[in-house]
Amino acid sequence: MRHEMLCRPAATAVQFKLDQGESLTCEVGAMIAMSSGLTVQTTSKSRGGGGGIVKGLKRMFSGESFFLNHFTAEAPDQTLLIGPTMLGDCVHHAMRGGTMIIQGSSWLASSPDIDIDTSWQGFSSAFFSGESMFWVKCSGQGDLFMSSYGAIHCIDIDGTYTIDTGHIVAFEDTLKFNIGKASRSLIGSFLGGEGLVCKFQGQGKLYYQSHTPPALGALLGPKLKPK
Amino acid sequence: MQVDIRNRPSFANLLVQFSPGDSIIAEAGAMATMSSNVDMKTRLNGGFFGAIARRLFGSESIFINEFSASSPGELVLTQPFPGDIVCTELQGNTMLLQPGAFIACDPTVRLSLSWAGIRSWIAREGLFRIKVTGQGRVWFGAYGAIFEKEITGEHIVDSGHLVAYEPTISINVGLAGGIFTSFFSGEGVVTRVRGQGKIYMQSRSFDGLAAWTNSHLL
Repeated sequence: MRHEMLCRPAATAVQFKLDQGESLTCEVGAMIAMSSGLTVQTTSKSRGGGGGIVKGLKRMFSGESFFLNHFTAEAPDQTLLIGPTMLGDCVHHAMRGGTMIIQGSSWLASSPDIDIDTSWQGFSSAFFSGESMFWVKCSGQGDLFMSSYGAIHCIDIDGTYTIDTGHIVAFEDTLKFNIGKASRSLIGSFLGGEGLVCKFQGQGKLYYQSHTPPALGALLGPKLKPK
Repeated sequence: MQVDIRNRPSFANLLVQFSPGDSIIAEAGAMATMSSNVDMKTRLNGGFFGAIARRLFGSESIFINEFSASSPGELVLTQPFPGDIVCTELQGNTMLLQPGAFIACDPTVRLSLSWAGIRSWIAREGLFRIKVTGQGRVWFGAYGAIFEKEITGEHIVDSGHLVAYEPTISINVGLAGGIFTSFFSGEGVVTRVRGQGKIYMQSRSFDGLAAWTNSHLL
């Protein structure tokens, strides 16, 4: 499977060339165009933990499920073009063992050998503002594709690093994190507009986005018609 | 202190690289990431009433952050909307910025609120504007890409597209054409800028985005 990034960094799309028998798992709605020799199968994973059959059905109808599309090439040399919903960038990360924790809406696609786990709850205490973000844990070997709102930059952390939580796209789980205040004074952190930030410690890769949808929404919201 | 503007013009953000002792002033909420040795201090944006005035009339934050580092470190600053960021170096001169455009400046630059005049308010360019004076660099941004133009005489800028201008330029409001044209051309009221100096314009208007979004809401 070969991939190519087109139209970076604002309206990035990823083009794949799949050979017979190869397949790719993508988030639903990501497909822009594909050749006729590709078949699609949709499966779902629950967001945020287990529960029984009834809970599973409830989640499916409440929109809390995480649906996946599996594209398989039934003929040689098939092309698949995918892209995310928001304007922004896409990035490729080659996984060689290890685990990446990815912001749920940033996971775009991955090769089928990568295991996707949606029950990771590490940050649930961090969001007082009501932003519900869910996180996806990917592990194994293969290609991982992520999207963002804004431009994506990568940092190899060795030591400590601070990031505003809304800007996190993905990070390796070898990094330990701590949700804390931005400056030494609590009042200062909130008034300074930063509130709680995430402090990473250890060694590992961190992908972050330059902009966040809630910041745009906060400015645009007051200008919109009331419902 | 090295500051690079990355990812222009669509998702511009500032990468600040500190040498020991450097510092930068930025609007509240602009920080995206920073290395742990960067210190953040929050203070009022120019006295209590000045800060409130700046919030109400200048769409700027009440509080301002000063980031400093005593050892080499880095900081990424961003703006809430997608768009461009431009840097201008002040050498004792003044620059006037539209509400919401200011992002960051060197600590030697002075920020204040300036009355823009009733005509500016009618042109929907705001009643006040931000004045930056002194020596040092100022970074400001807008929704859309930013163009710079030297004007002599009169020039017309659509409302919502003016980002910054030198104080030698005066703002006036006017109709786009005759009554019929103004109404049906979709331009309506436009801003007439007159004088000799530099103006900065943005390629997209935020009010345009709001209007478009509104038209699609059920």
